[in-house]
Amino acid sequence: MSPGRRFLGLLLAAVLPLAVSWADSEELGGNFRLTDHNGRPFELDQLKGRLVLLFFGYTYCPDICPTELANLSAVLNALDDQAERVQGLFVTLDPGRDTPEVLQDYVRHFNRRLVGLTGSEEEVAQVARQYRVSYQRHERENGDYSIDHSVNLYLIDAQGALSAVVPYGLPPQHLLETVQGHLAGMADTDALSSTGR
Amino acid sequence: MYRLFLASLLFAVTSVSALSAAQLSDSAPGYGKLGYPLPEIGSYALPSLGRAADGEILDSSGVRRSLHEIFSDRYVLLAFIYSTCSDVNGCPLSSHVFYKVKSAMKRDAELADRLKMVSLSFDPENDTPEVMRLYSNNFRYAGKAGEWQFITTASQQQLRPILQSYNQVVQQEVDDKGNPVVGYSHVLRVFLIDPEKRIRNIYSVDFLHHELIINDLKTLLKQQAAQGRMIQAAARIDEPGQLSKPGDYKQGYEAESYTTRSLDLESRRGEAADLLGIANNPPLGLPPIPVPADNPLTREKIELGRRLFFDRRLSLNDTFSCAMCHVPEQGFTSNELAMAVGIEGRSVRRNSPSVYNSAYAALLFHDGREESLEQQVWGPLLARNEMANPSVGYVLQKIRGIADYDGSFEAAFDGRGVSMETLGMAIASYQRTLVSADSAFDRWYYGGDKQALSAAAQRGFDLFAGKAGCASCHRLGDDHALFTDNDLHNTGIGYRESMGIVPEKQPILVAPGVVLEVDRAVIEQVGEPPPTDVGRYEVTQNPNDRWKYKTPGLRNVALTAPYMHNGSLGTLREVVDFYDRGGVSNELLDPLIRPLGLSDAEKADLVAFLQSLTGGNVDTLVADAFAAPVGDVGEGDPSWVHGTEVEVR
Repeated sequence: MSPGRRFLGLLLAAVLPLAVSWADSEELGGNFRLTDHNGRPFELDQLKGRLVLLFFGYTYCPDICPTELANLSAVLNALDDQAERVQGLFVTLDPGRDTPEVLQDYVRHFNRRLVGLTGSEEEVAQVARQYRVSYQRHERENGDYSIDHSVNLYLIDAQGALSAVVPYGLPPQHLLETVQGHLAGMADTDALSSTGR
Repeated sequence: MYRLFLASLLFAVTSVSALSAAQLSDSAPGYGKLGYPLPEIGSYALPSLGRAADGEILDSSGVRRSLHEIFSDRYVLLAFIYSTCSDVNGCPLSSHVFYKVKSAMKRDAELADRLKMVSLSFDPENDTPEVMRLYSNNFRYAGKAGEWQFITTASQQQLRPILQSYNQVVQQEVDDKGNPVVGYSHVLRVFLIDPEKRIRNIYSVDFLHHELIINDLKTLLKQQAAQGRMIQAAARIDEPGQLSKPGDYKQGYEAESYTTRSLDLESRRGEAADLLGIANNPPLGLPPIPVPADNPLTREKIELGRRLFFDRRLSLNDTFSCAMCHVPEQGFTSNELAMAVGIEGRSVRRNSPSVYNSAYAALLFHDGREESLEQQVWGPLLARNEMANPSVGYVLQKIRGIADYDGSFEAAFDGRGVSMETLGMAIASYQRTLVSADSAFDRWYYGGDKQALSAAAQRGFDLFAGKAGCASCHRLGDDHALFTDNDLHNTGIGYRESMGIVPEKQPILVAPGVVLEVDRAVIEQVGEPPPTDVGRYEVTQNPNDRWKYKTPGLRNVALTAPYMHNGSLGTLREVVDFYDRGGVSNELLDPLIRPLGLSDAEKADLVAFLQSLTGGNVDTLVADAFAAPVGDVGEGDPSWVHGTEVEVR
């Protein structure tokens, strides 16, 4: 795809997010660049070697995001010494309001190990597009707005590849088991590659 | 089903739009503890709510498969989801509840073995097989027990008929100005489907709870285990036909989950009935029976005919009675054979017709070649591949030599002994008494009992007499119905059989769930070549009569599977599907047969109507047959060879 067409596609996606279906050729998941809650540039690839738990939302989100982040935090706490091998990420879908400062306050409230990510509208749209996240601003009469968005949690393996999608609604215990299963799998792979050398 | 649908609409229009703070505090019961006590397992009935439709789907590897293949003859929980869903009480609720069910399956081997969960996406554009694979990946470490499959479809074109047949209305959400916004609005419903692909419960958002689902499933499993036993009979006490089951009921044999349902010999207890009384005063819905002037019904003739009907000595090698193809508890036909099998396993080229209501038949045999029951008797007696007697005289001489019949013919026929005529008259007299009606339909239509017939069967009747045009041939009168026009028609079944290209390999079922693909050449080495069958033409020699067969009456049709002159259709649903397609096209196809354009629901209604035609007295007639003596070869009989000079090698 030429850069021009890509831009057009993005523009369309921003205007009519639902009228456009994800092109089949577009790969699911993958690396992306945003800004972390300390204002520093962030790249998914820098987390290679760790298991990444990726969630999309926004800080004004009334219910699902706090619930999911609380679950995520509970899972991170339950991992004990294994927690170093896992990174929780929260990507805002509302970069207009969610500046790095706002995000830092927000994610720290849940867990100090969580990292909040933001960027320009276009950058965020691109990540959402990669991970097939649908979202849309919903204007309220008082001039306020909310954002409807899909609520899956994405598991990204040590090589940076999307490995599983956890639908919202499953108990934290399931997420914990899944994460531990993935970590055990990663340990096996490590052991294999080290004996191979 | 419609009522249920409306109810769930009222309870649960779960629109997947703006999230509000109210939603969490207002979350569905499925997230919490069950707010009411569950009824005891097995204490309630879950009648079929209709057929769970099939469709073409893609599994998470992107392989094209049928939905029924995914169901794989297990109990199935089916939910419609889409991965970009954001309503707490929508798709996430079904995930939450399925997860709880999966956890229960891990603890309960029977559940794990019998149940499967399927989430089907209704958003094929976003939910590619890859997305579905990522979903199922998240259970990679959750143990094998409790299978949960995520599937999607190739496009809206494949999806639409599936949504339609499950009454799933899915609409793109729009804002005030009509612009599309994130999400779809759909009524969350989860379907519980049994291995026979019947919907047994539908859970709306207010009823979707894992404990209720498991209770329902345990109830179904318990009742399935009890099938054929008295517990089930008690649950459906009003239904006639309790005795009308093969001794070892083989339905579902092709499925791996098949378990035997042999009836206890005890439940075959016979009880003689007043057959003459029944014949002289036929049940509601039938006219008086026509009786030939020279063969009036008497108790003696009926009793003699009944003995002959169950006497195995009427065949060449003393093994085969009339009742072995016209099995009383199998609708006086044979449920387990498409085409009959005669003595020594000889193949017969057509399906055994039921003897029920043969008193009214103007034409006998599928090609209508005989005109009276008295004469018809001699067909099977002399057919080489049925009872195989070499001649009329052989049969008569043999019966004369059997002590059991000493004086019986003379007593019944005013001094006339065993003859070609009296033998036919005796057997015809018994057959004539097997009149069966007073079905749910008769009580509703002719009896004026508005409660007698289910709503589905009533709708089915409207189709039968109207849109589907069945009644053009399967006729009804003002005060009675025989459901036949006593004529012959070409539906294309015979044409297909004659012209059909035979596949190179044929699947052969060798044990429950075990099918071998056998080469045609191997089958031909050991099998008899399929006989030709051109139907009515064989009788009239008129080329226009090729592939015409008699219109059978439809009373007790639910008990007389398989169907058509060659038994090629196994279920009533298949028969309805066949006529809905307009039969099989051929140059002599009857003009009354045409595509009907029936919906899935309409087909289900038609089947419900056909099932309502089971006579109220079938158990009486079957119990009477169980009480009949079975004539078996014994010492002193004409062909008794044991202990004689004949050396048996």
